[in-house]
Amino acid sequence: MKHCITISAILALTVSCTGIPKNTVPSDSVPSIFPDYTDVVIPANIAPLNFKIEEKGKKYVTVITGGSERAVISGQKVRIPQRKWEKIKKRGLIGIEVFVMNDKDQWISYRPTSISVSDDEIDPYISYRIIPVAVEAYQELSIRQRNLTDFDEKVVFANTMIQTNADGACINCHSYKDYSTDNMLFHVRQFKGGTVMVLDGKLHKINMKTDSTLSAGVYPSWHPTHEYIALSNNRTHQSVHSASHDKLEVLDDISDLILYDIKTNTVSVIENDSCELENYPNWSADGRKLYYVSYRYEGDYGDKRKNEMFLARETFKFNLYSKSFEPDTKTWGPARLEFDAAARDSSITWPRVSPDGRWLLACISTHGVFPLDQIVSDFIMFDLKNGTYRYVDEINSQYAESFHSWSSNGKWLMFSTRREDGVHTRLYFSHMDENGRFSKPFALPQHDPDFNREFLYAFNIPEFMKEPIHITPRQFASFISSTDAIPAKYESKRGE
Amino acid sequence: MAAILWCVLVSKEQFFLHKVEDLSVFLFDRMFLAERLTIPGGFLGLAGSFLTQFLYLPWLGALLWVVLLLAAYQASIRVFSIPESYRALALIPVALLIIGNMSLGYGVFIMRTQDHFFVPVLGYLVSFIPLSATKRLKTLWSKLVFLVLWNVTGFPLFGAFALIGTIVSACYISVQSDLPSKERLALSVTALLSVAVVPMALYSAYTSYRLADSWIMGLPSISEDGWTHAMRAPFQLALLSQILLASASGIMSAKPLKGLIKDFVTYTSYIASIAIICVFWYKDDNFHTELEMSYAVDQFDWNRTINIYQKAVDRHIKSDRKAYDARCRKIVQAHSTQEISDIVDRYSSRFFEPTRTMVMYRDLALLKTDRALNEAFTMKDGSRMQNSRTQIPMAWQSGKQFYLQYGLVNMCYRWCLEDVIEHNWSYSTLRYMVMHSVIMQEPELAEKYIRKLESTIFYRKWARQQRALKSDREAMAASQPYKSILPYMCFDNHMSNDMIKTEAYLINHFMDVEPESATPEYDRAALLIAMRIQDISRFWERVRYYLNSNQVQSIPRSVQEAALLYSSLTKDGRQLPYDDEVTKSYDEFNRYVQSHAICSMKESAYPYSLRFGKTFYYYYYFMRDLKTY
Repeated sequence: MKHCITISAILALTVSCTGIPKNTVPSDSVPSIFPDYTDVVIPANIAPLNFKIEEKGKKYVTVITGGSERAVISGQKVRIPQRKWEKIKKRGLIGIEVFVMNDKDQWISYRPTSISVSDDEIDPYISYRIIPVAVEAYQELSIRQRNLTDFDEKVVFANTMIQTNADGACINCHSYKDYSTDNMLFHVRQFKGGTVMVLDGKLHKINMKTDSTLSAGVYPSWHPTHEYIALSNNRTHQSVHSASHDKLEVLDDISDLILYDIKTNTVSVIENDSCELENYPNWSADGRKLYYVSYRYEGDYGDKRKNEMFLARETFKFNLYSKSFEPDTKTWGPARLEFDAAARDSSITWPRVSPDGRWLLACISTHGVFPLDQIVSDFIMFDLKNGTYRYVDEINSQYAESFHSWSSNGKWLMFSTRREDGVHTRLYFSHMDENGRFSKPFALPQHDPDFNREFLYAFNIPEFMKEPIHITPRQFASFISSTDAIPAKYESKRGE
Repeated sequence: MAAILWCVLVSKEQFFLHKVEDLSVFLFDRMFLAERLTIPGGFLGLAGSFLTQFLYLPWLGALLWVVLLLAAYQASIRVFSIPESYRALALIPVALLIIGNMSLGYGVFIMRTQDHFFVPVLGYLVSFIPLSATKRLKTLWSKLVFLVLWNVTGFPLFGAFALIGTIVSACYISVQSDLPSKERLALSVTALLSVAVVPMALYSAYTSYRLADSWIMGLPSISEDGWTHAMRAPFQLALLSQILLASASGIMSAKPLKGLIKDFVTYTSYIASIAIICVFWYKDDNFHTELEMSYAVDQFDWNRTINIYQKAVDRHIKSDRKAYDARCRKIVQAHSTQEISDIVDRYSSRFFEPTRTMVMYRDLALLKTDRALNEAFTMKDGSRMQNSRTQIPMAWQSGKQFYLQYGLVNMCYRWCLEDVIEHNWSYSTLRYMVMHSVIMQEPELAEKYIRKLESTIFYRKWARQQRALKSDREAMAASQPYKSILPYMCFDNHMSNDMIKTEAYLINHFMDVEPESATPEYDRAALLIAMRIQDISRFWERVRYYLNSNQVQSIPRSVQEAALLYSSLTKDGRQLPYDDEVTKSYDEFNRYVQSHAICSMKESAYPYSLRFGKTFYYYYYFMRDLKTY
């Protein structure tokens, strides 16, 4: 007993009254922490970057400094108090010093590391879908919104609020006009199905499937200046890889593009070439051009089409196209090849133009249309001003990077990535400077640093929002349950 | 009676109890606990899951359950102040609670709530709380406030059971003649109104269910609509009995029974309780054999798996003989072939026939012990349908096991994921996810699931063992079960979907996929399946591959039998060297066929099986049109 007291007394002497260890043994290495927030650039309005020290030790002390402000936190999990965090990050540069007591009761002081605080703010809210990793079943899906300035997360809507055992409902593709939640949409499939639209704060449910189009709308893009939404039509299939680190293959055996006119509730065709698999529409910043991807497939339309396509999946190389558009007259120009990915033995998907119209970021992978389920999918960025492009190596990881969203000021990128374990998609952020270079990505801050490791669901379709969604989940549920979808009318295509 | 129940559970239902545990999960993990509390009744569910984990040791789990059932019986008597002469009536809801679990059968594979085994009895006990508390309160206002507060706080914690408790209180109070009628009315109306209003008022705090389902939250749930009513009926009847006991408590207190009527009520209650248990207890032998085999497969104990199957066959030798004799007696009296055919059909269910899952477990075990090609066709075969309300696809029941063991590890992972979505997380799913990630050497993914299992009581040690293997290919390849799975993973990647038909998928896989460098194990499995599907050209093709990759001293007997039969049927000149015993047995078979005419395959199957049941000829002629699931 006496012996224990003596050791405790000695240990106490090695820690100053501020809680910071003295007489430390310096280490050359930067401490290993999870999530890795070392040397990242963050917005000033982000929640505390809580992390866990991954070094083995008996005791842990972390000192976080910003100017004269300082937080001394003990424990392996470093949870920074919100108030203290607000003061610390005002100074533009945050210092992190980690002390770990080893087996020999020596305090090791790791090489200090830092976090830069950018003057560029980030939109305060994001939304995403929380989805179980699966193939066909979709028992529990929810769209959630998160306040980026703290850890507050709320459910926007969950399919469990309307579906029954016998009648399942899938919800997907939430999307906003100009980052505002007064105009937004998401799709409900199957039970009580339809596209749920919030237009100037009022709820509507639309059935965009017409006799002349392939399916209801899928991947949407709101027109920046007019009351239009470009959407894809898809007939999607999935199959399992029998022996590969890739688990799943997703493809459309048919896909087209449509334009939905909100004012007239009409659907018209943008592209529906029977040999082209058009997908992922995205407007240019001025709304006078629509980017999309497409692959030419000339297989038969018989029963075996799907299976043949799965067999030929590795030959599917999608290219980037665009079509000019005259918004006032809804007139389309001809398709124009923007990037010949096939010539580079690659497939390009998910093009998304930055709000200032200068950059176009897309996913590039070896083949196919659904990069999320491929082991390797990277980002490629085009400078639309000078026509150059580059692989965004400062962001790309060994696993799949997929859906991405630009902040409303175009300074921040939020993207889905499987970099942590190859299967569960997580959200990461990166700051872009004026030259189009990105900073080291950092994970969405969570109150518990182990969250990403513990959480068994995936994040999906992250989107920035300037404000929270004001309609409550109960209002959405009540509306969807009680309202039949209004059928959209078909309108002939103009132009070309 | 409690001791008898415990003994029966431990001796006859240990593998059912183990399966209940295997398909549930309780993690000492903040995220798990928090997530479970996002639905009304979540706390009760957590308590149920916590107790379910002890079914890992069936004697302990069964003991906990029996103690809770005893507590439920005692609580009824005490809270309703049931006089001694009526006490046997309190056994009826307990019998219903017992049968709620023990009548489940194949439903156990499609339960959506992992806590279903303990929740009903826990909920039953919880529903006594408001009444016992109200009885202790003195003033009307305190009782009124308590009942409303009970619903407001009890509904999030205990779900529908809290509401049932309030209804029980209302029923009990309404018949208490010692209370003023106004007080009775005020309390009953308040209780019932709060049952109607509180779930609606609290709905805005939840996003995990439909408003219309508010009043059934916390009750056990199953993923097949067709089962819901049957699964819940015993529990609902138990709760209804509780309400009836509460409603009749006034009369029971006022008029205790005496003499013959007392004896009549007592004995009738005993008999009714025992009858409920005996009649509705799910006793299907194939189901129990499947559970026992499944447990052995999970332990990678292949010899035990085979023995369990053989014992099941042996158990039915006498009953098969009796069924055959009874059928013969009927056939002798028949006047037409149609009548005979009807008799044969009618008696077919009296003969033992294994399910496909049993046969597939057995074949898997025979392959893993390299006994398949000698012994698979010496054992009884069949495709008896599950004795079940609806057929549970093999994919849900045992798909993960077959896919992993046959090297189709991504398909195993796929069914783990589907299972999680349809039926929630379970120890079983987490274990198979770990094994998938370890064999695929995906350390980060493996770590995710290992961490979860590390926060359990009974799987912690196993999880830590797997951590050592997750990124050490050599160590993984040298340890079980991976050592015996890797040889089956010799094929190239291809796209596939099983369409929820596990056996058909495995047949197609082994018949259509021809690895460039197949292992001896792969070729043995492929040959076995070629023989199973009775496809002559595929048989010869697979024999060729088998003989190339397997350095056999002597060709297995079943393979010789198949070759001899096929070559004599097709007369295409393809032959293998045959043992004398094989040619003799084939000659004997042919002679027997000539002297014992086969009226119908169904009718002749049993007598032929007595003589040739261990030969491939018997399998070829009599095991036709086997269904796959």
